[in-house]
Amino acid sequence: MVPESDQERTEHFNRISLKFSEFYKGKTMILPKVPINDLGSFSYWYTPGIAAVSTHISKDIESSFELTGRWNSVAILTDGTRVLGLGNVGPEAAMAVMEGKALIFNYLGGVNAVPVPIRTKTKEEFITVARALEPSFGGFNLEDIESPKCFFILEQLQKDLSIPAWHDDQLGTASIILAGLINALRVVGKKIEDSRIVLFGSGAANIAAAHLLMAAGFKAANLIIADSKGILHPEREDMDTLMLNNPWKYKLAMSTNGERRKGPSEDAFKGADVIISAARPGPDTIKPEWIKTMNSDPIIFALANPVPEIWPNVAKEAGAKVIATGRGDFPNQINNSLIFPGVFRGVLDARSRGVNFKIMVKASYEIANFVKDPTEDKIVPTMENWELYPQVASAVARATVEEGLARRNNSTEGFYKIAREIIEENRKAYRKLVDGNIIKKLPEMD
Amino acid sequence: MEDKVELGKLEEKDVEKVLDLIMRLKKLNQEFDSTFEVNEDSREDALKLLKGIAADRECYFAQVAKSRGKIAGIIVSEFRKRVFYKPPMEARILEIYIMPEFRRSSVGQALVDSLYAECRKRDIDLVTAEFPSLNVIALNFYKKMGYREIVSVYGKQIRKN
Repeated sequence: MVPESDQERTEHFNRISLKFSEFYKGKTMILPKVPINDLGSFSYWYTPGIAAVSTHISKDIESSFELTGRWNSVAILTDGTRVLGLGNVGPEAAMAVMEGKALIFNYLGGVNAVPVPIRTKTKEEFITVARALEPSFGGFNLEDIESPKCFFILEQLQKDLSIPAWHDDQLGTASIILAGLINALRVVGKKIEDSRIVLFGSGAANIAAAHLLMAAGFKAANLIIADSKGILHPEREDMDTLMLNNPWKYKLAMSTNGERRKGPSEDAFKGADVIISAARPGPDTIKPEWIKTMNSDPIIFALANPVPEIWPNVAKEAGAKVIATGRGDFPNQINNSLIFPGVFRGVLDARSRGVNFKIMVKASYEIANFVKDPTEDKIVPTMENWELYPQVASAVARATVEEGLARRNNSTEGFYKIAREIIEENRKAYRKLVDGNIIKKLPEMD
Repeated sequence: MEDKVELGKLEEKDVEKVLDLIMRLKKLNQEFDSTFEVNEDSREDALKLLKGIAADRECYFAQVAKSRGKIAGIIVSEFRKRVFYKPPMEARILEIYIMPEFRRSSVGQALVDSLYAECRKRDIDLVTAEFPSLNVIALNFYKKMGYREIVSVYGKQIRKN
């Protein structure tokens, strides 16, 4: 039984998470995927035969994607500096979380994701380690790295590597925000190019969201970013510090807020159509009276975890039409797990050299269009929509071909077939392990 | 937002606004080096200093860039004698600050050019600039304009802990 109250529910999950972790001692494992008929098999799976494969790859590096498991391997890289809401807990502690991420990667996307928390101090050190790991993987998923370090690292890796680098806290969150927003605007009948959006909170997710929204056709002048220091504008006192430490936010200060509005952050709400909040956990971070100053049919994304910036019923009473949160116990959960398994399935199947905003916009539309008749309580799919992942994967894979990033060409339908088969085969293998009791049943709770 | 920018001499009526810009510059210096911790109580003294600079056009060149009546940038420089060296005079840039919106739009260059024009009028050939050694933004700004390091000022705090 899952308890009713938020507090009890949190404690309940904490308790079982500790107990199960101790019982299973790790969440994923490596198993052979080739037949080993007798020990003679190692003469071709290993030496001497394997030397021919090695020689082949050394002459044609790209064949490492076809002759080894590189094509389906992703490293989940973190320095453990901003883990969940816990902060800087270090790489060892981050491992528990990264294993969970690897589990979702595998279960939903059929991806072999390897958790790699690393002990690095500076961004340069992190980049050096990531570069050194490139030959082993088909993609990197960066996770739980503090801001603004995460911006420098992602930008540099995207420039340097010939595999996709994705920072889920930036790109994953931004993509699913965009997907939800596309449908929320459909529900209230407003156009992307006319909508006035407030990004409330200026952490990694919202900074990335601002850039993605612009790539999706939202007008920079119609965006306003607001944070604990008030509305962001080019004359704000902290601009020089930003130029130095957070050039991404600095650039947004120049390009957004066309009317050059100034003042405390709540003044950003006036006349806005949409609030995307990734700010301090609530429930009183956003006040109902602020929502009353918004344009007709307000859209509120209150994405703070574990407690949204305003409770959905309170936002609704204040006039909000569409409300989304980060939680699964309310309608419209803005959840990264809807996006990253499909995105990675797609970039891996296309053997892509990278991923960019254009590709992400396509992924967001694919997710939005998956919801056939969006309503105020249904703007995004839920995690149980299995069909979603191969569909996102094929849209992404095809987009990498169109962007000239793919090593492997195929049609959307072709990529869909590949993705679906990989995900299904993977799930079948997993089922076998469960049915055969190789994966043990959950232990009884006292 | 890039409207026409007009240059003109610093006048007393603009001193309050210009001080805001200079305070931003000082706070940026503070980011780089704690030796330049800004004294928030010194506004009155700073205003007096700036008013003196605005009034003394013989010894100082203080030029303001304005856009739609708003201050977009400021340059303050002092003409100094060089008793021991040739050439005998130099113009020392003490402060230069451009509001973020007007950066990369040649306002900074225009302000520096106006100083160069004034120097030519006065037959001054050497222009120098001072800034905290750790302020890499200033360092890059001057390097890009062809300046090189010619004087060093070293410092240490000697109060015992």
